[in-house]
Amino acid sequence: MAGLTRRLPRPPQAVAVFAVAVLWVWAAHALWDSTALPSLDLPHLDPHRFFSDSFLHRSATFERFLAIENLLASVTLVAVLVVYARRGHRLVRESAAGRVGTGVLLAMLGFAVVWLAEVPFGLVALWWERRYGVSHQGYLPYLVGSFLGLGSKFVFVCLGFAIVMGLAGVLRRWWWLAAMPAFVGLMLLSVFVSPYLIPETSSVHSPTLQAEAKELERIEGSGSARLRVQDVHRFTTAPNAESTGLGPSNTIILWDTLLHDGFNRSEVRFVVAHEIGHLAHEDPLKRIGWLALFLIPAFGLMAFFTRSRGGLGRPEAVPVALLVLVVVQLLATPLLNVAFRRQEAAADWAALQATREPATDKAVMHQLAVKSLSDPDPPSWIYAVYENHPTIMQRIGMADAWEAQRP
Amino acid sequence: MRLILSDDLERSRGTVFFRAIFALPFLIWLVVWAIGAFFVAFVNWIATLFEGKSPTPLHDFLARFVRFATHTYAYLSLAAEPLPAFDGKPGYPVDLEIAGPVRQNRWTVVFRIVLALPALLLVTVLTGSGSLVNASRFTGQLGGYTILGLAAFFGWFYAMAKARMARGLRDLIAFALSYAAQFWAYLLLVSDRYPSSDPLTAIGPLPTRSDPVWMDVRDELRRSRLTVFFRLALAFPHLVWLALWGVLALLAAIVNWISTLIAGISPQWLHRFLAAYVRYQLHVTAFLYLVGNPFPGFVGAEGSYPIDLHVAPRERQNRWTVLFRLVLAWPALLLASVFNQLLLVVAVLGWFAGLFTARMPLGLRNLGAFALRYVAQTSAYVFLVTGAYPYSGPCLEVPRPEPVPAAPVPPPVPAPPAPPAQWPA
Repeated sequence: MAGLTRRLPRPPQAVAVFAVAVLWVWAAHALWDSTALPSLDLPHLDPHRFFSDSFLHRSATFERFLAIENLLASVTLVAVLVVYARRGHRLVRESAAGRVGTGVLLAMLGFAVVWLAEVPFGLVALWWERRYGVSHQGYLPYLVGSFLGLGSKFVFVCLGFAIVMGLAGVLRRWWWLAAMPAFVGLMLLSVFVSPYLIPETSSVHSPTLQAEAKELERIEGSGSARLRVQDVHRFTTAPNAESTGLGPSNTIILWDTLLHDGFNRSEVRFVVAHEIGHLAHEDPLKRIGWLALFLIPAFGLMAFFTRSRGGLGRPEAVPVALLVLVVVQLLATPLLNVAFRRQEAAADWAALQATREPATDKAVMHQLAVKSLSDPDPPSWIYAVYENHPTIMQRIGMADAWEAQRP
Repeated sequence: MRLILSDDLERSRGTVFFRAIFALPFLIWLVVWAIGAFFVAFVNWIATLFEGKSPTPLHDFLARFVRFATHTYAYLSLAAEPLPAFDGKPGYPVDLEIAGPVRQNRWTVVFRIVLALPALLLVTVLTGSGSLVNASRFTGQLGGYTILGLAAFFGWFYAMAKARMARGLRDLIAFALSYAAQFWAYLLLVSDRYPSSDPLTAIGPLPTRSDPVWMDVRDELRRSRLTVFFRLALAFPHLVWLALWGVLALLAAIVNWISTLIAGISPQWLHRFLAAYVRYQLHVTAFLYLVGNPFPGFVGAEGSYPIDLHVAPRERQNRWTVLFRLVLAWPALLLASVFNQLLLVVAVLGWFAGLFTARMPLGLRNLGAFALRYVAQTSAYVFLVTGAYPYSGPCLEVPRPEPVPAAPVPPPVPAPPAPPAQWPA
């Protein structure tokens, strides 16, 4: 009890925490409001009107298995990190790298242990996707790629923990205040360079599509963006697209499965309009804003829970910090998904406004569901925890709502 | 079985110049003998399986074959001067002492070829003779260069110029021959002892040296399985940092080259910067190739890592050697590239050994350290951190005595402490 009392914040600190909380709520509200979306009364559509019974059954089975498997993976992840938080500090003896370097090593080893724990789940998920024909990646390439991918992940882990531990060595308990701007800067840099780091991309060769994209940029009021195609058909049949980059590096990436696998020209155009909508709304920047908002409680909790190990300036505290970070991330994901779903809905709306083709929107959504084997109307818990897009039925409902509002 | 070295390094330019031609009859005879040895080895394998021990006549035949092969290659690669005898009798300046037949574990006899595979990887990089058992693609890396081949090639020029063989190159060749002989003796059941890759015990007494760039090994052989398994990924941030630092080091080296050409000595700050870079390079490669266990720091601080590099204070350098440094360094760079191949094999074998036993075998660790030292000395030479040419042979290293200031007259300098035992187990 005495220990707990000692851990409770004293009045001045409580006031500071309260002030930060108020600021946090204000910032979150401002960020939420910055994504404009008309208040729509979306009708609840019956998926059986759009999809066959066999597809609905197949997609529900497919997604439910993956969701449960994902949940089990998360539980395992936390369990493994709890063990690592208790015992990981012994690995300090494997380092000759000084305080910061040892902390970095322990962070990387933490991620390595997580990788080991998650590999079986990844293989099971791959098996399931292969069984349903969504993926054709081999098991060995998956393993090798995943293992080698650790290297680049470790570079970022190294950089992140070097900053945190360096600051913690100087600022002690208040490191997280200075770490925030540093991490926001890193995230900005990371988003800015990310289009150049995505593998196997090439320019879109179709002059028609390029011209249509330029026209959509003009209509939606976004800046100019590069249009690239990513070669993914060797791994998956699922179609997808994304917008990334900041300012001059703004890029729209279209998977080749979208261009060469049954989507007609106007459907591809609609997808491009959706991605331009993201850029017009500056969604990549807003995503950084949301992540930065969630870093504040994450860093605060990391600082609080690592005090028993001497604070994050000590390498022994790193395993505990990792546990806190992952738990906060798991808890924050459903909340962040709410914000991201709103951004996606706004991008859909922008695409509808730009193309004025609700029928194409519905056709795209239908194709996306069928080719990705995505459950059009998933159970609420899957929707809340994992979906960062509106459901297919919600997106079809939005097309109907747009049509109903059309003058 | 051990290698006995009684060569005096003296060479006749005439025999050196025509060495390959003089060696031709011995090579032809070796091929004939190898064909016979192949069949005898098969009979010996069956006999040893039944008896638990090689029959003496077969053992002697194969022992002579291994000895003759060693004599022939020692002659061809300039590790020895006189012509060898055709019968593989003892008494050659690079000779093998081979014990008589002993009882062998039948399981190791049954699976001898499989067990010899790791050693085959090493012997292929060292001498290329592993290609006899179809590893020629591996030998083909780097255009087929091997330690033995390159050392003999450079030794030829040295011997032609000085009528002597360079001690470092001769010892390096002797080490490669010693390992190859151990490998063949093990494979042909002449010996049941697994080949030792330790360069410190391979060729008898080693010279003691005080090079301006020397390495000290305080690493324990224990390895953490977790850090061994993820070694490549863990080293990745270091490799990125090393590459970034390398860009700066390259620029610094150019400035250092110009400054040293003008002043005859490196500027202090450049010497310190480049020495730290070379040391950091050693720390990272030691970690990556499992020669060292702990995760290294990011600044290349002296004394921070158990496989450490010490660099003497800057010294005046001959301006001609500075001007032509890259040309002069070319042989060392070529040899260093093969040492890097050797390090790769050490890492692969050490990775498996570390995962299964949580230890790095002493021989492998010392071989890795030996290769690392050469590569580090080469880097230091290229970057003008030192004017001393890299020493290619295995040796015992002791710290350089501190330079005595010229004035004022110093008090008597106490004798340096006895050199520490090198590269302890």
